[in-house]
Amino acid sequence: MPLLEVSNLTTHIRTRRGVVRAVDDVSFTLEAGETLGLVGESGCGKSMTGLSLMGLLPPGGAVVGDSSVLLDGRELVGLPDRELRRVRGNDIAMVFQDPMTSLDPTKTIGHQVAESVLLHRGCTRAEATERAAEVLGLVGLPHPRERLKDYPHQLSGGLRQRVLIAMALANEPRVLIADEPTTALDVTIQAQILALLADLRTRLGMAMILITHDMGVTAGHTDRVNVMYAGRIAESTGTDRLFRGMRHPYTQSLLASVPRLDQDPSVQLPTIPGRPPDLTAPPGGCRFAERCRYATDRCRTEEPQLTGADDHRYACWHPTSGPLPAGTTAAVPRPDGPSPSPSPSSADRPLLEARDLVREFPVHGNRLPGRARRVVHALSGVSLELGPGETFGLVGESGCGKTTLGRLLVGLDRPDTGTVTLDGTDLGRLRGRELRERRRDLQMMFQDPYSSLDPRMRVGSILREPLQIQGIGTARQQKARVAELLTEVGLPERGAELYPHEFSGGQRQRIGLARALALTPKLIVADEPVSALDVSVRAQVLNLMNRLQAAHGLSYVVISHDLAVVRYLADRIGVMYLGRMVEVGSADDIQLRAAHPYTAGLLKAVPVPDPELERAKRGTGISGELPSPVDPPSGCRFRTRCPLARERCAEEQPVMRAFGPEHTAACHFPLSTPLADAAAGRLNGGGVPGSAGGR
Amino acid sequence: MTTYLIRRTGEAIVVVIGVMVLTFVMIHLVPGSAARATLGTRATAERIAVFNAANGLDRPLAAQFVTFVKQAAEGNFGTSYSLNQPVSTLLAQRLPRDAVLLGLSTLLALAVALPMGIFQAVRRGRVADHVFTVVSFVLYSMPDFFFALLLIAVFSVQLHLLPSEAPQAESVAGILADPRALVLPVVTLTLVSVAGFSRYMRSSAIGTLAQEYVQVARAKGLPERLVLRRHVLRNSLLPVITVLGLSAPGVVAGAVIAESVFNYPGMGLLFYQAATSKDYPIMLGSTLVVGVATVVGSLFADIAYSLLDPRIRYVDA
Repeated sequence: MPLLEVSNLTTHIRTRRGVVRAVDDVSFTLEAGETLGLVGESGCGKSMTGLSLMGLLPPGGAVVGDSSVLLDGRELVGLPDRELRRVRGNDIAMVFQDPMTSLDPTKTIGHQVAESVLLHRGCTRAEATERAAEVLGLVGLPHPRERLKDYPHQLSGGLRQRVLIAMALANEPRVLIADEPTTALDVTIQAQILALLADLRTRLGMAMILITHDMGVTAGHTDRVNVMYAGRIAESTGTDRLFRGMRHPYTQSLLASVPRLDQDPSVQLPTIPGRPPDLTAPPGGCRFAERCRYATDRCRTEEPQLTGADDHRYACWHPTSGPLPAGTTAAVPRPDGPSPSPSPSSADRPLLEARDLVREFPVHGNRLPGRARRVVHALSGVSLELGPGETFGLVGESGCGKTTLGRLLVGLDRPDTGTVTLDGTDLGRLRGRELRERRRDLQMMFQDPYSSLDPRMRVGSILREPLQIQGIGTARQQKARVAELLTEVGLPERGAELYPHEFSGGQRQRIGLARALALTPKLIVADEPVSALDVSVRAQVLNLMNRLQAAHGLSYVVISHDLAVVRYLADRIGVMYLGRMVEVGSADDIQLRAAHPYTAGLLKAVPVPDPELERAKRGTGISGELPSPVDPPSGCRFRTRCPLARERCAEEQPVMRAFGPEHTAACHFPLSTPLADAAAGRLNGGGVPGSAGGR
Repeated sequence: MTTYLIRRTGEAIVVVIGVMVLTFVMIHLVPGSAARATLGTRATAERIAVFNAANGLDRPLAAQFVTFVKQAAEGNFGTSYSLNQPVSTLLAQRLPRDAVLLGLSTLLALAVALPMGIFQAVRRGRVADHVFTVVSFVLYSMPDFFFALLLIAVFSVQLHLLPSEAPQAESVAGILADPRALVLPVVTLTLVSVAGFSRYMRSSAIGTLAQEYVQVARAKGLPERLVLRRHVLRNSLLPVITVLGLSAPGVVAGAVIAESVFNYPGMGLLFYQAATSKDYPIMLGSTLVVGVATVVGSLFADIAYSLLDPRIRYVDA
């Protein structure tokens, strides 16, 4: 008998718009010691499935029909609330997505972990606290006993997620539901948390349901996968088979649209057109038919049921046989833009040049007179150059200073020292009107498509505003320009009359891009342009960004924590760590010939959508967490987490050395030999070539 | 935490000085003179001059202010023109009575408003929520004096259940000894503030309920009752505390009206009488007391806030 047996699970949520069929006839089993992935895009029902198992549905939600959830043979559906509460947090526990908001800010972590022990074990408070210290140790919180009295805000995101896991594991549940447990974390921390979950699963013999949208995470951390689409299971099989021999076209398209580290940047990413159906009135036939490349009339009228052998079931009339073969992926070649590796060393002046940028922010809070002023060292001497039509990618963990750098580059903030030069003009010297006029060349595209557009302005006004501010054209010309912009980003012209909330996330990000384009800028700084989007939509926006760059000769600075995204867009990549640039090089240099141990670790931490490669990985890339930027380590700032660090790293700050044309890194003990050393004697260790560097 | 308290207290002192300057200037800008008000409209110029000289009113404003501050520091707010008693004595008599009236009504208001706000947040958008919302707005928009008169009309005049006049006893003990007479003034002031507090509590609790840690608490298996008490209440209280601290002037303004209607011998009534007879020393003294009470109230609110919210407590730890 399987540990958990879910059959015909159907969940309805009553809303003002009607009844949403969030989960529709979902069946699966789960054995002890096994991890089942629930995979799909937002709104596909994967989280709702988890919440249905926990009995934690939102208001108006109910498990209906002949749904059945058997835990060790015991029926959970229809259990009275009092009984269900004994199961919750005891037999089945859940870890949620956002560690920043999942802990009560007014209670100590010890108290919060002990709370669930007290509730289910009927022990004394002292025993519960003892148990809390024990599980906090188990999840790798350093010095758990001393930290029991810590409040959540005193911990980093990674540590908070460990506390949440401890809370879920406190009563040694038999099933752990992890709902996007690492989506809000940096890749380095993500790798650590996923490794921890896998280790705990084995040690405690738990069964785990891993809910994720990330195909890389799925590849590395699940045994079997249910791919969900529009509330139903589209395909269900072992992880290896899913990636190598998927039968459902949705799985196929989903995997193809994920940019991979080894993606050929000259080929457009395949996308899934359209958006998932409205679940208040799902279509009659196959729910994916509208967006499916193989759909026939039968798909639109007759709904396919899950068929196939027990170990590989899929719901499709026209099953495929494996992944889209490379090359034939409806691959439209990327339009000819600037050459893939432009050479800024050529005579033409760089468009943008940043020199030795330093930016420090005072630490907020109160300071007694006489106590030293404390500052966050956001940027400590960063330089970079960018040619016309070039894309520079910036990667690094959160808190490394990449967003601050982006803001300095577009003149939204001024450096404390150092200069930003655009076309020969020092932005730091511009004031008032001159600066405002210069802003038309520098635009920004933001991460969150929901908060970056004024909800009370029509899209037409949002797009016109930059033109009005800069006084460009007559009202008629401005309106024409708005229509042109909408067409350019692939939105209908009548969109100008609508409000932002009437668009999907991907469409809003297109509006954001159109707004940035309105003034025909020379440079767009895109700060995490696709992080908030689903993979299929992500591919659409990435393709659009590439097309517009080619059409307008734009330069981009793309800031992202996602190396694959940066790798796909960028000609050159800069890796930042704690306010410094540690390595700069072409996309290939960074991916294939990384010289800095941090770059190598970061690459290793990125989950790859390939089960074999994921399993072959040893270790988690980079251990530990980013030190405080208030008090950065001496010498090389990465030394506290570096496997190769020696005494010299603490004493002496490494300078940028060349490892190839345009490839520089700042490390005392690099992974490959620097050019100057290789040609020792001839070059005599002369000046450091290369277009970017850090102090 | 210590740093925070020191800084916050320093700010409070600066604000109190500002309050003193402002009240002094404002009261002397009000048209009409104290001499005329005290001596009557037929008083001769000589008598007015003598009155002004005796009370120091013929000196320049700045000099008068310096004297006022010096004396205020010693607890001396001058002598009332009309009642011929030291203002400090009058205030000392009345303040405890107000502490009883305002303290009781504020506590009662919170006791009603906090559960009501949470209840409404939990039932958001359902019938119960709408009913309480309508009731809140009716209470909120009704003028205090009208409300007081309405209560008197119903409970004293029609039903003869409760006296229409507040307790007249001198001491606090005496006032408390007559709880029936205290009911109507306290209820008036309570209902007026319940509306405001419950609205704040409702919107704050709606925000808290949407937080993921509430869902986490449910996932632990906590019954909803405990989820609300342990995790929602305290977190939703934070914004309400700020409002509470700043509500002192509103409460006092309500007290001026309620005390006049119910003839409650508190500060409000004293101030009302002083204002009609242009009794500067009393007005100055009581305005200052209210100003200081507001500043102290908001200081206490900040301290309470930092006790409830560790993110503030440990800001410089």
